[in-house]
Amino acid sequence: MWTIFGILAAAIAIGFIEVPSLWKNGQKRELWAFSFLLLTGTVLSIAKTLQIHIPNPLDWMAVIYKPFSDFLFGILK
Amino acid sequence: MLENARISAWQFAVLVTLFTIGSSILVVPASLSAFAYQDAWIAALIGVGTSLLLVWLYCAVGNISPGKSLIEINEKLLGKWAGKTVSFLLILSLFFAGAASALYYVGFFLTTHVMPQTPVHALNILFVAVIVMGTRLGIETLARSAEILFPFFAVLFGVMFFSTVPQIHLDYLQPVLEKGAKPIATAVISYLSFAILPDIILLMIFPYVHQDSAARKAFLFGNFIGGLVLTIIVTLSLLVLGPEGTTTHLFPSYALAQKIKIGDFLQRVEVIVAIMWFITFFFRLTIYLYGIALAAAQIFELKHYRPLVLPLGMILVVLSLVIFPNVAYEKNWDTKTWIPYILSVGLFLPLFLLGIAKFRK
Repeated sequence: MWTIFGILAAAIAIGFIEVPSLWKNGQKRELWAFSFLLLTGTVLSIAKTLQIHIPNPLDWMAVIYKPFSDFLFGILK
Repeated sequence: MLENARISAWQFAVLVTLFTIGSSILVVPASLSAFAYQDAWIAALIGVGTSLLLVWLYCAVGNISPGKSLIEINEKLLGKWAGKTVSFLLILSLFFAGAASALYYVGFFLTTHVMPQTPVHALNILFVAVIVMGTRLGIETLARSAEILFPFFAVLFGVMFFSTVPQIHLDYLQPVLEKGAKPIATAVISYLSFAILPDIILLMIFPYVHQDSAARKAFLFGNFIGGLVLTIIVTLSLLVLGPEGTTTHLFPSYALAQKIKIGDFLQRVEVIVAIMWFITFFFRLTIYLYGIALAAAQIFELKHYRPLVLPLGMILVVLSLVIFPNVAYEKNWDTKTWIPYILSVGLFLPLFLLGIAKFRK
């Protein structure tokens, strides 16, 4: 519970650091990109604290590179 | 150009050196001797030689259109959408496999050897806080801090070198070439994949170097010094710990530092020596994060990379906790997937770009 509270506090603090200057200069694109990343970060962190399974991107890379990997280590063996 | 920065050739050389040593200083000795056993030092030497060719390739790609970063070169050569797609996949995969795994090593090293009772999240958050601060300050500040921190690194490395040299056993290197050339070839590829091929991200910084002709020399020189340091570490681990010791230790360089003993009163200084790799880890991670944030800003046509850094740091912490469930997975992934992956982005992509550039002329 407290961890989630801490994560939200950190996210709000990050928002306070970046948003005012972006808002004042009317940088819409930057604001969207920033919000998207911050939301992703917050959701991932909360999912991690609640011990929800987060898919591992390295598993996907392992699947994609499997044929090349087999080929490469086949030669080198 | 997103950032109006200039760094000198010397500063670039120092950055390249620290980036090359980066996390490799902890990973390379064990992975080289796992393949080549007592011949790992030969593999490292060949690796340093080969790396100069690779750096020449990176310089050639960087000079396709001077003053342009890798992302802009991609867009220019491959067209707008294909270029953006390639660049996006490149930085996304480097973020997962390069930056997050380097941060994983920091936390893993600290919880195994230095602070076993501290939760790894706390250590990773602290380290990311420093990295994010560094990245937000920009490349000029980073380059200057590299200049300041490099002498500390050099002194610590010197201490480690001179205090372990009396303990070497030359017979640990024999028999030379026992298993033939193939294990050495594998070890060379392993060396290149950890130390040199990630240098592709340095092409994001390359355009900031003051003079183009000096930039190439600095790139080569920095890489050479970094490779030399790694070769010395590999050779020392073999000579002091033996091939078995080097292969079975999780962090042979740390085990090497534990051997430091001057007289009977100066011992257990390994944590002070470990400051050496906190410096290199810091630069490895900041350059990754800087390169990735800058690339993302260029791909999505943002005016500044700075707003992206803090949220990226937050994601990085979670990723570093998620990507490697255990050491066996990490060791297997580092060989079976990291090597083919980094070959594809660090060798084939630049060759492909260079080929297209030549073809278009």
